[in-house]
Amino acid sequence: MQRIVVPGEKLEDKPLRIDEAFIDDGKTYSTIMSMYDDEKKVLTPLEGLWYPRSGDSVVGVVQEDKFNVLIIDLDSPYRGLIFAKDTNEDLVSGDIIEATVKELDKTKTVILGRPRKLAGGKILYVKPSKIGRILGKGNSMIKQLSADTQTYVVVGMNGLVWLKGGKIDLCTEAIVMIQQEAHTSGLTDRVKNLLEMGK
Amino acid sequence: MAKSEKPELMVNGKRLDGRMPGDLRPVRIESGVLKNAAGSAYVEWGSNKILAAVYGPREALPKHTSDPEKAVIKCRYQMAPFSSLEEHGRTGPNRRAIEISKVTKEVFENVIIRENFPGSEISIFVEVLQSDGGTRAAGITAAAVALAGSGIPMTDIPYAVSIGKIGEHIVIDLNKIEDNYSDADVPIAISPRQDKILLLQMDGNMTREEVSKALSMAKESGKIITKLQTDALKAPYLKISEKYKNGAPSLPQQPREQQPQQPK
Repeated sequence: MQRIVVPGEKLEDKPLRIDEAFIDDGKTYSTIMSMYDDEKKVLTPLEGLWYPRSGDSVVGVVQEDKFNVLIIDLDSPYRGLIFAKDTNEDLVSGDIIEATVKELDKTKTVILGRPRKLAGGKILYVKPSKIGRILGKGNSMIKQLSADTQTYVVVGMNGLVWLKGGKIDLCTEAIVMIQQEAHTSGLTDRVKNLLEMGK
Repeated sequence: MAKSEKPELMVNGKRLDGRMPGDLRPVRIESGVLKNAAGSAYVEWGSNKILAAVYGPREALPKHTSDPEKAVIKCRYQMAPFSSLEEHGRTGPNRRAIEISKVTKEVFENVIIRENFPGSEISIFVEVLQSDGGTRAAGITAAAVALAGSGIPMTDIPYAVSIGKIGEHIVIDLNKIEDNYSDADVPIAISPRQDKILLLQMDGNMTREEVSKALSMAKESGKIITKLQTDALKAPYLKISEKYKNGAPSLPQQPREQQPQQPK
């Protein structure tokens, strides 16, 4: 059975190592608003921030174009960096890109690799904690969305989603719906229903 | 005002608004009221109306304010020019607003896990739309809800309430008149999980015994405030869960857009 927990709420009477939780005086407490499964001992964030990990796919906007480095806005406390030697594309300030986290600096700088320019389209800002649900199990949800609406979708783990072409409004509506109802069950069926009716 | 003009604050053991010494004013908390903010809350505490918003973590600017080891917290408490009958908030921050911003900031420095975001800043804004005494306590309570709703990791949700002394009586949650004419007014902020005091500002005189009695009264009322805070945070999620409780798709059955009929 899942329950909603708030920061500082006790999860377990024993010390357990759980993501987004902390241990104090031999007990485990949550640090963010989340759903906690008492049986599986899993904390699913309802509200949360993005912590970069090596290999994460991100979407960002080129903020500054310096001589041999590009500074990328990732809509987070972390700043993205792309070295000019890592890209053949002609990127200028304002371009939307998709890239992969290559390396993490000790400070709050994220070194990105394999950048790809995303021309046109639009960016949707979603909560980073809901990205998992938008992607679905084995990316099933996003594949379904993309196929049904004929929209090209790129999801960044940092909470930026890039959309282009097809029934873009329907796709946006579906993503917003997934974001709002991520903590409920039977969501996949409701999304299917929405896409069916929008066709 | 001369002592002789001091109004009678306690009549037959009851306060001017009919409350008993240990009673809170009616409190209503709403979370997620501002779309652009990372987290926000609106609190109605008696006649106080307070809006709190949280932005960040984001790059700390100007750069020299940043800390390479942990996030810095910036807080702005401000009273709207129309918030009270007095001269509050006429132009920008005054001495009082700067002080309250500082103590609010220090409350949250103790509960936010700042080490997760080195070099960044978390901004807390507390706007008092209407004031009736105890706005700093209500502001901290509102800001705590806004922070929890923003997804910033915290070890606890603090609450604040004022305690005071009217003649012989120890009271909690003083309103404007009581605040002005009472013998003591002590706003306190408490972290309920750890039972730690995060703020205590004494205005007036109270004995050690009186303070400890008032503290236990405040902690008792704190249970009510904490319940209201957590309920406010959970409400938007429970509302959606409730909608789909039976598992039945509740989407409209007819197509949303009726295509206009093409003339034959």
